[in-house]
Amino acid sequence: MIEPKKFWWMIKMEVISLKRHPGRLVSIIAFPIIMILLFGYGMGGEMTDLPIVVVSQSHGDLTDLTLDTIKSTETYHIVEVIDSLDEGKKRVDAGEVKAAIILPQDYDANTTQQKGVTLYLDSSDQMASQTLESSTQGIFSRISNMVASQTSVSTQDADIEPSISHSLNNFKDDISLHINRIYGNIKYIDFLVPAILGMTIMMSCMMGMGKTIAGERETGELARLFMTPTSVSTVIGGKIAAKLLIELLRALILIFMAVFLFNVSIKGGFLQTFIVLVIGALCFVGFGIMLSSRTSTQEDYVQLSLPFSMPMMFVSGVFYPIETMPWILQKLAYIFPLTYLNNAMRGIMIKGQTLADVWLDLVILLGFTLLFFIIGVKRFNRDV
Amino acid sequence: MKNAIETINLTKIYNNNFKAVNSLNLEIPNKTIFGMLGPNGAGKTTTIKMLTCLIQPTSGQAIVGGYDVQKNPNEVRNLLGMVPQQVSLYKDLTVMENSQMCADYYGVPPDERDSRIEDLMELVDIKYARDKRVGQLSGGQKQKASLVASLVHRPDILFLDEPTIGLDPVTKRTLWDLIRDLNDEGHTIILCSHDMHEVDMLCDNVGIINTGNLVAYDTPQGLKDSLLENNKHEITKTLSQISDESEVSTSTKEYLDNISLKKMSILLKNQNDEIIEAIKKSSNVKSIELLRNGRVNLRIDSLDDMAVQNVLNDIISSGGIIKSIYTEEPSLEDVFIKSTSEVNENDRA
Repeated sequence: MIEPKKFWWMIKMEVISLKRHPGRLVSIIAFPIIMILLFGYGMGGEMTDLPIVVVSQSHGDLTDLTLDTIKSTETYHIVEVIDSLDEGKKRVDAGEVKAAIILPQDYDANTTQQKGVTLYLDSSDQMASQTLESSTQGIFSRISNMVASQTSVSTQDADIEPSISHSLNNFKDDISLHINRIYGNIKYIDFLVPAILGMTIMMSCMMGMGKTIAGERETGELARLFMTPTSVSTVIGGKIAAKLLIELLRALILIFMAVFLFNVSIKGGFLQTFIVLVIGALCFVGFGIMLSSRTSTQEDYVQLSLPFSMPMMFVSGVFYPIETMPWILQKLAYIFPLTYLNNAMRGIMIKGQTLADVWLDLVILLGFTLLFFIIGVKRFNRDV
Repeated sequence: MKNAIETINLTKIYNNNFKAVNSLNLEIPNKTIFGMLGPNGAGKTTTIKMLTCLIQPTSGQAIVGGYDVQKNPNEVRNLLGMVPQQVSLYKDLTVMENSQMCADYYGVPPDERDSRIEDLMELVDIKYARDKRVGQLSGGQKQKASLVASLVHRPDILFLDEPTIGLDPVTKRTLWDLIRDLNDEGHTIILCSHDMHEVDMLCDNVGIINTGNLVAYDTPQGLKDSLLENNKHEITKTLSQISDESEVSTSTKEYLDNISLKKMSILLKNQNDEIIEAIKKSSNVKSIELLRNGRVNLRIDSLDDMAVQNVLNDIISSGGIIKSIYTEEPSLEDVFIKSTSEVNENDRA
């Protein structure tokens, strides 16, 4: 049975503690901001201003049109337009630029033959090379359509190891493709932010419970509480309530920062997002209780929690869709509660779903929560 | 109820088969101060944990304040107060807030809570720091604050675990006075300490626990007398009798050999070889030790008062001028060392 007065003391203590340590309050606010900045700006942005050179061996309207199109594309930052093929390749090989777009001598010639444009690419930078490749393909496809000519792009092999030459084939407008994005134009940051919110809540809940339970075990405060005629569930329940209060504050800050800094739209509404985060927080507080039930020091707790928290961070689809992972990791992902929190968060925030739509994820999360609490309270002993 | 605490064959075996407490039979009379002594790892902490319902005994029974610790843990908890060695109050809360919290956890009536705390603060002289955070207090102040929080529910039985460790002599004396006052008010006090002087001075009864067994139990004076009466209490085997003597340091062995002899210390004005020789030849002098500060420490193997006088006569007749002299009976520390150096042959095997 839970005794309200004792329960309330746990919350009161946490609030008093925060009030008397403004530094901790700053940390609670700063942590989600740092997380969202770090992951949002560090990983969520699109690649722009990649340095390239254009080797232009021809002159004419088509060349001018091509140069203008390249210059107006955000992906590229044209360091220089040169006419020497060797110089262009040398700059890519030296790592000064990420690629050289080589327009051949006959690029402007009025001929029915295919025109070979070469993208001389530094493929050691995988992310940049993928972006440059698709962007360049897009440009020449558009130019090809615009001039309705037989412009073609041919293949040329690179003779230097870290670089590749890539063939860009002409696209004919035989098939018209209309893209209908059912959730709008989703950027990587939109995909990332809901999971970053979930991951931040996971990390802070798990670390926080280590301090609250294992830390107090170590310093003896928990022993004093357990020497009183108080049930384990009252003490644990009070600790959970206090922790949850802090996590709710953190969740609010996280959501506001995501909207404010990255203009992330919450299609399913603020309240539903908040409710999902609260369920997530409850689940990870339970996880923390379970892990800390038998640990006697904070150090032990950290060592015990790392093997769970680290794989969960990378396997639960925070950074990449689970479907793109090797099958073993895909299976592993579904034993971690963070996966379900991420699914529910993305459903609400990106797809505009309701709590009813993501019910399965929420039920699984609540199931995990119940399991963690039962194991935690059962395993918890008063021995300190 | 005659006894505040009674244990019957109380045993605790941990999961790794380590027997921390071995059939402990102990009686602590009501309203007395009981000193619980024992070397580190002897089983004191495990015994206290069982008595305070933090862990379950493996077998046996412990009755605290008339309640069985296994059947009525909450009734037992209500009767107990604990001042642990490590001050376990919340450092961010003030002395008042910590005490209020403890009072609420023990279910002290709300209308009595604050007045009780104020009275206790006055009693232990910590009222001036009532609104200070525990983290900002000195070691002595923390112990006083801990006492207030532990006494707020008026426990019949109070456990004090090394309450004066690390405290300055003045604060130590204040706490000693406080322990006596609390006992006068009717609290039974269980004092765990390694400070033999403290235990000797405060306790009505002393129990020495070693390797999970109660190896000695008596009043402090009774324990000391037992050494003087040539091991009247049954110490079966001491380090001096261990077959493998390499395990024992020479100084410990010598100490044990001489533990039941009377100590005598003399400061001579004119120390010379002739006088020292006279002391060595004196009857009843078992051993002699010359200190750098000019003192001569002796061990006399007779408890007869004339033995001391005979030694003094020999010194004076050899021309020695005595500046100061003191004699010392075996102390509680001697009893502790002798009792805890017992080695159970079975355990050793």
